[in-house]
Amino acid sequence: MSAATHGEGLLEVRAVTRRFGGLLAVDAVDLAVRRGSVHGLIGPNGAGKTTLLNLIAGVYRVSSGFLRFATDDITRHSTAKRARAGIRRTFQNLKLFGEMTALENVAIGLHAQTHAGFFDAVLSTPRHRREERGITDRSMAVLQFVGLAGLAQARADSLAYGHRRLLEIARAIVARPALLLLDEPAAGLNVTEAAHVSDLIARIRDDGTTVVLVEHHMDVVMRVSDEITVLNYGRRLAHGTPAQIQEDPVVIEAYLGRAGETDRAQA
Amino acid sequence: MAALIALPWIEPDKFALHVLSLIAIASIAAMGLQVLLGYSGQLSIGQAAFYGIGAYTSAFLTAKLGVPFPLALIGAGIAAAIASLLMVPITRLTGAYLAVATLGFSIIVYLFIKNEEWLTGGSYGFIGIPRAELFGYVLRDARSSYYLNVGVGAIVYFVFARIEGSRFGRAINAIRQDADAARASGIRVTLLKSECFVIAAFVAGLAGSLYAHEVRYLAPNDFTFWKSIEILIMVVIGGVGSLAGAILGAAVVVGLPEYLRAIGDYRMLVFGAILIATMLFGEGGLAALAATLGRRLHALAMRLILKPTASRKAAP
Repeated sequence: MSAATHGEGLLEVRAVTRRFGGLLAVDAVDLAVRRGSVHGLIGPNGAGKTTLLNLIAGVYRVSSGFLRFATDDITRHSTAKRARAGIRRTFQNLKLFGEMTALENVAIGLHAQTHAGFFDAVLSTPRHRREERGITDRSMAVLQFVGLAGLAQARADSLAYGHRRLLEIARAIVARPALLLLDEPAAGLNVTEAAHVSDLIARIRDDGTTVVLVEHHMDVVMRVSDEITVLNYGRRLAHGTPAQIQEDPVVIEAYLGRAGETDRAQA
Repeated sequence: MAALIALPWIEPDKFALHVLSLIAIASIAAMGLQVLLGYSGQLSIGQAAFYGIGAYTSAFLTAKLGVPFPLALIGAGIAAAIASLLMVPITRLTGAYLAVATLGFSIIVYLFIKNEEWLTGGSYGFIGIPRAELFGYVLRDARSSYYLNVGVGAIVYFVFARIEGSRFGRAINAIRQDADAARASGIRVTLLKSECFVIAAFVAGLAGSLYAHEVRYLAPNDFTFWKSIEILIMVVIGGVGSLAGAILGAAVVVGLPEYLRAIGDYRMLVFGAILIATMLFGEGGLAALAATLGRRLHALAMRLILKPTASRKAAP
């Protein structure tokens, strides 16, 4: 595809397959994500989008295939190791730390960038105090960035649904990851909130974080994606710019098809 | 704090001070389990194993090898911590699986204590444990050993209180609330869970050592899995997640039977009833109950004091 020739590749997924028993959830999928882009990942329910995201994040191991991130082969790396290397994610079914404040939730995202351990905390070493100040400042700045600064001290489980979605994003970007995996960040949001999320994704990309976006809201995907890969039945169906994808007869038939007319009109 | 220091002078009764010492010792083990269960969310019903390892290590070091007490105390903690490293592979387990594995460990340690007579005295018990001594001063009376036990308890309390609100504390809290999300944030879940295991074992070892020198006689039956259950009950009725709750729970579990000799053999029955009541009143346990009572009393007092104004406001 022409778009793939711009910019260097940050993430390369090559011939990745994942089986669950007899089910081929992801079947020999290739994906190349350029540094500095927003890469949309779309497809009907059960197409394997979330499974692919989990394979990139390290929640599942590949049955076969290869994953490269920057210059490293990360195929066998654990979730925590990938997160420390700069791959962060959000969850489709929100996984916030409900008993903590919004600020503490974001602070968790900085765990890997900081170093104070048990003894630093007990002795309240200068390193510990300095780090805590830095963690608070950076976390507040990110809450500001997503529009939640006023709710920093609110418990996460007391937040409205739309705010919880934003808090997940804040936690995932606080460490300035190279790659952000967003799993349906606009699910369940109204039109205004979804537009805010689209705008936020664009700003995250402009700040230097590459984004892989799984999303059902077509207007969000078409608006912010630089490239789109379409999955169907675990296989890659098409890949191209939003304009190319909307014109692609194969995609229209398989996915946008019947219900797609209004989506296309909107986009 | 001041009350704890002044107490032996107000209430110099030897038996009372001894019971308070035992409560302080139990509190230390319970606070360790609080970090493990309340903070990091790992259910252990094997803390008596580390408590026992600490007790016998300290007894052996002082009685057989003549090691000074302060070193034996630290040695007991370290021995328990090292033993807990055996448990590292099982920190991958969660929930009931983890609980059963720790129970298994507790049973193995109990059998070891009971059967290795050359080391532990077996069923005859370990006798001739010297009194604790600090810097050449032997703690002969109940008052000085009260200060030792409560002092160590206070140190453990303040050390653990620092964990809350720290990077380490946030991370283990995150693991308890959602391990997947913690991993996705780059937290090494298994490593931190193991650290909590080691910390809890270390303080259980300290508690064991203090116990050995407080009662100066150890028998295997002090370290059965019932002891593990007792420590767990302290945490649960005190309030999971609350350090103060662990101390309250220890006071109830240790203090109640000492003062209500009549209940004697029925104490587990009483604890069972308290446990069910705690569950009915919610997870917060005694700590939450005390906080709620405090708030209610405060509200009541405020209402009584402000009544005239309040009724005037309500009138129109």
